[in-house]
Amino acid sequence: MTQALRPPATLTTAPPDSGRGRRRAAYLRTVALYVVTLWAAITLTFLLPRFLPGDPLAALNDPDSGTFVYDAQERDKVAAYYGLDRPLVSQYGSYLSSLAKGDFGWSISQNAAVSTLLRNRLPWTLLLTGSALLLSSAVSFFAGLTAAWNRGRFADRALIAVLSVTRAIPEYAMASGLLILFAVTYPLFPQAGAHEAFATYSSRWDQVSDILFHLALPLAALTLGLLANKFLIVRNTAIATLGEDYMLLARAKGLSRRRLKYRHSGRNALLPFVTALGIQSAFALGGSVFVETIFAYPGMGTLLERAVFARDYPLLQGYFVVIAVVVLVANLLTELTYTKLDPRVGRRVGG
Amino acid sequence: MTATTIARPPAAAPLSGRRTTVAGAVGGLLLAVYVALVLFGSRLAPFRATELAGASLEPPGGEHLLGTNILGQDLASQLILGARASLLVALLAGAGTVLLGGVIGVLAGWFPGWFDSVLMRVTDLVLILPKLPLLLLIGALTGGSVLGLSLVISLLFWPTAARILRSQVLSLRSRTHVRAATGFGAGTWHQLRRHILPDLGLLSVAEFIPAAGRAVGLQAGLAFFGVGDPTQPSWGAMIRDAIAFRGVFITDAWKWWLAPPIVALVLLIIAITLLGTAAERRFSPRVARHSR
Repeated sequence: MTQALRPPATLTTAPPDSGRGRRRAAYLRTVALYVVTLWAAITLTFLLPRFLPGDPLAALNDPDSGTFVYDAQERDKVAAYYGLDRPLVSQYGSYLSSLAKGDFGWSISQNAAVSTLLRNRLPWTLLLTGSALLLSSAVSFFAGLTAAWNRGRFADRALIAVLSVTRAIPEYAMASGLLILFAVTYPLFPQAGAHEAFATYSSRWDQVSDILFHLALPLAALTLGLLANKFLIVRNTAIATLGEDYMLLARAKGLSRRRLKYRHSGRNALLPFVTALGIQSAFALGGSVFVETIFAYPGMGTLLERAVFARDYPLLQGYFVVIAVVVLVANLLTELTYTKLDPRVGRRVGG
Repeated sequence: MTATTIARPPAAAPLSGRRTTVAGAVGGLLLAVYVALVLFGSRLAPFRATELAGASLEPPGGEHLLGTNILGQDLASQLILGARASLLVALLAGAGTVLLGGVIGVLAGWFPGWFDSVLMRVTDLVLILPKLPLLLLIGALTGGSVLGLSLVISLLFWPTAARILRSQVLSLRSRTHVRAATGFGAGTWHQLRRHILPDLGLLSVAEFIPAAGRAVGLQAGLAFFGVGDPTQPSWGAMIRDAIAFRGVFITDAWKWWLAPPIVALVLLIIAITLLGTAAERRFSPRVARHSR
């Protein structure tokens, strides 16, 4: 929140000399952090199954198990077939090289390539989470500004009370509640799926409206959970700007209330808001897992649910790597946007 | 479930002092009910959670206050006994998160320089990891007992607490009494024990409460996915079973099968949130400054 106490971005000008170099260094440092994080996530998915209890060949190696293979040579052959006899470093090398080729292994429960499964599901998840992030951002930004400009009055208090409750409700509870209300008790929306099964559409618009119709409830469930955080950030930052000298000056200049609200107060509230947005991308993807499961939405979440149920580790790992990449890219983008939005950032890092 | 938030905004800011106290009292009372359910649950519940107590899908009434599920298990008993898993994870994971975040935050704040920056980079790294998928992956691999789950939650969610406690240590170490003690030759351990840790107590409580609330949501979420001890009744598992039964929305069964565990969960999280709001307002210097 300290940024809000400084003069607005529009009033400061970047120094002509070293600004660009420092900003480039800041960019590089940011990108480096993300590359390291990605590496850590990928390495974690490699190490976890190997160090946590359990062994893929336990049933063959354990004399008490029904599928125990008596012949030690036979057991070694199986281990060699799966590459489990090789040293860890060599396994790690082939893991990395197959990941680089886009090969995530073979799903045990679905009997298909993990990469194909995930590729078919990813667009639906991105549609759901992306539109939830956009919608919640738009709503919370305007609601936050409105609350700030009516602070202490009814609208402000009502918004805070309602959003504090929606924040406390887990996604699966929210999704079940909406499903019960608007698909069962009052059947306004479909209960499940992303589009009408076996439908043939007369026009492109027909198809789009059908998809939107099916998207409505899952989208609402996910959006409601994402509102409160950004709302409070915008509200509190905007309130902090209200007492600033430049606001007084802008008011004295006779600028319209709307201009003050969106250009002067709103622009400053945008910065912490963008940071929150990046962090929320992980949160939204996590929440989408529940929402998709409840509404049987054909995204990666329902796939994950089945993968957990079947303990399908290759699928679980592939899912985690893809999600990690999406989240990291989203965070990197928001952070770079942040440096673009706020010319002070590059200089601050250098000095 | 406000997972992964650096800038957790002060929710308490708009409430006046008196309202905060009322909110805290309501939250405390609600929580007391849940604690009573945990303590006396096995005496209150008429049946064991997995016992086949009646016919399949009995409506509420008679000896089954909330009816039975498709297997004929008593839903009221499952609801009462489910409180234990939620509150245990809240307690253990909340404490673990603050403890781990506290150790890392205090060390980073007390030893500036490369040590601090390494710890803070690690904090940034853990902060951006997508945690729910990771939790599901680890939970699926380990089985997800209450203790294991609490440990994993602590290992993934400490960064927020670490950052806040670190900045408090940074502020404390520049104060006169601490600097004076350093001047008299006080060692690190003495300083931490005598001057730093006592001043972190209340702030740690303010961090513990939201961490506990988050853990409740996570535990139920994982149980919803079938990650958890299958012999331990939990609300997440109840929700899972109800949703898995496709007829739940066609009949009225959702009213006593699906709705009660959801209401129980949401009320518990709201109770913890209310307590947290009251505590944050009292203990956290950040919020006290904002709401002035």
